[in-house]
Amino acid sequence: MTTVASGRSIWTDQRRFLLVALVPTFFFLACFYIYPTVFNLETSFTDLSLFGLRKGGEWVGIDNYVEILASGDFRRVVWNTVIWLTVVGVSVRIALGLALAFLLNSPVLKRWRLQTLARILLIVPWATPPVVAIVVWRWLLDPRVGAINATLMSLGIVDQPVAFLAERLWVWPALITIITWNTLPLVTLTFMASLQSLPEELLEAARIDGASRWQQIRYVYLPHLKPAIIVMVLMSTFWTFNNFVYVWLVTGAGPGLYTNVMATEVYIQAFINGRFGFSAATGIIMATIMTIFGLIYLRVVAERELSEEQT
Amino acid sequence: MKLGKLVATGFALSLLAASALAQTITFRFNDPEAPGMRQALDEFEKMNPGIKVTMQRASWGDAQQQFLREAAVGTAPDVAQLAFVWPRSFGGAGALRPLDDLIKRPGLGVKGWDDFFARDLAHGPDGKVYGIPFTTDTFAMIWNKDLFAQAGITEFPKDYESLRAASQAIHQKTGKTGWGFPAGSCGTPTIWFALNFYWWSKGPGLIDQGPDGKFRVAMTPAQIQEGLDYYNRYIQEGHNPKSSMSFCLWGAPEIVEGMLSGSMAVATVPDTVAIEINTKWKQRNPDKPTPFATSPHPAGTNGSRTFFGGRMLGISANSKHVEASWKLIQFLTQPEPTFTKFYTNYTPAQRAALDARAWTPELSGYPEQLKTARSWGAYGVGPVAIPFMWNAVGRAAGSVFIGEKTSAQAASELHDAISKELAKNQK
Repeated sequence: MTTVASGRSIWTDQRRFLLVALVPTFFFLACFYIYPTVFNLETSFTDLSLFGLRKGGEWVGIDNYVEILASGDFRRVVWNTVIWLTVVGVSVRIALGLALAFLLNSPVLKRWRLQTLARILLIVPWATPPVVAIVVWRWLLDPRVGAINATLMSLGIVDQPVAFLAERLWVWPALITIITWNTLPLVTLTFMASLQSLPEELLEAARIDGASRWQQIRYVYLPHLKPAIIVMVLMSTFWTFNNFVYVWLVTGAGPGLYTNVMATEVYIQAFINGRFGFSAATGIIMATIMTIFGLIYLRVVAERELSEEQT
Repeated sequence: MKLGKLVATGFALSLLAASALAQTITFRFNDPEAPGMRQALDEFEKMNPGIKVTMQRASWGDAQQQFLREAAVGTAPDVAQLAFVWPRSFGGAGALRPLDDLIKRPGLGVKGWDDFFARDLAHGPDGKVYGIPFTTDTFAMIWNKDLFAQAGITEFPKDYESLRAASQAIHQKTGKTGWGFPAGSCGTPTIWFALNFYWWSKGPGLIDQGPDGKFRVAMTPAQIQEGLDYYNRYIQEGHNPKSSMSFCLWGAPEIVEGMLSGSMAVATVPDTVAIEINTKWKQRNPDKPTPFATSPHPAGTNGSRTFFGGRMLGISANSKHVEASWKLIQFLTQPEPTFTKFYTNYTPAQRAALDARAWTPELSGYPEQLKTARSWGAYGVGPVAIPFMWNAVGRAAGSVFIGEKTSAQAASELHDAISKELAKNQK
């Protein structure tokens, strides 16, 4: 009886300790995540404006959502965000990350003792703050004094300087180049770490079985890298979809609204057009899209692939 | 122990007394001339030993949102520099203190409240005064006489079509950029001004107030399109290169350096930028006369039209130091010493103080342009916020310049967007 009683008491004490230990976490979650989310949701049903912050907004129901979803401009913003920024941006990053990881892990670099230098060079873009990277790239791409235009012109590739950040043909590729340059190292390093954990015996067995280099990649390396790829796709998608700083500082969502994405639309509506309620509704839609994507991705792709990996 | 308590109490009292004697107010200053303004504030502190002024800085691009956010939570600076068109909306938002009781007092400007320019823009929707006009300015055209001469043009064009022809001729004969206006898109692009100057020179503006007091969109999509087409021709004809779409501000390095290097023949800039160009030219070429002249913008059937721009000063609604803040405003609106010693690149927004500004011959286009400049009028006091129109016009122009939309499509969409905003906000 005493044992049971003392057992219960220990369990109760542990539970109490756990609850107390979790209080700070819940406190911060409530203050900095739940409250702003609920406040934003509430704001999205009002007409709160920049000029009406002191008096607050009036309840407008789902008007903001209806206006957003009926707008042709918003459909283009979604297209820019989903296709250009996210699908193209993330695909380029994952593909280049894989290629670079294979290159940096190759025996050739090891033989020439260039691995360490290559890894240091790889980290430089990652260590560069985005704002600095953007300023440098804007300068490089500048039509008047930019090094890239100067090189292209001196080589006779172009007659006139190219306004990379202002011409329809070039603006998205230029933007994705800048984002990729700054964010590629993390992807590459993650893949490299995964590659280095590949058991040598597996490769040896494949070689003995007569597998070509491509077959080794297809049947040994890629299945081993799959968990890392799944996690990086998920993380990169979230970062990229929600990213504001690159698009805003590189193109200001222009020329026109050609590179306007959801994050810049939230900013433009709130701080240029002064429509906080409308902007909050855009933010809620943005969060909803990402939540749906995350759930589907985890259910359909990650769970299946990772369970296959475990079996 | 008793002695210790006595010393501590005495120390606390002396601190309290000191803080009561020296009142500290904050002044938000957004122009680049911070060192000069600090000297002016030092002078003010000498004249008012009981007041200390902390100067806060913000860029003009962020100043509006920052002030409104701070005002919403009661932390806005005591005195703030405001754009000419802000007091109405800021006053309506409850972010500024009404100044009607203070402007009746003596000591404001040279001849008191009635002598200030743009007083219409200083009123809030409730009819109260929320801002004191501080400086006034406008845009004029700065041009390189040598490049014009090389193209066989001896005087600055008087109408918009002649200016386009001159720009094209300069490009064809010298290979240089003609009128290199910034064609980039951002929240506050220069093309907004350039388009309005063109539209106003032909007659109506985007927004107008009818005889019944109601505001309306005063332009047809076709009239909007005409302006878009005009500027688009510069880019499509190549005398303003496509690279001009990569910057959007009137004082961008591309403009200043383009004029200084002689690779650009014409720019539309406020006087502060014209001064910068002339000053840098003289520094780099001490023995050569400046090749630049300034002229009013070309005229249309409605004359040469630009706007009365400028800054106002306002006291935030949360200020606890109204008397000290008002003293600072009184000081800053006196030409002597603010405008004569410290803030010399700006013109006081008072008729009696216009002479405080000495215009050099190469800047003679500015006083001439000021004579035909117009107030923002219905833009400033109407129901469609200027930042909304500014952004929408800039984006519409950008989409035309890159060929994403036809000028007719962009004009129609812009007309619809402004009409919708007006209908929504006009009670």
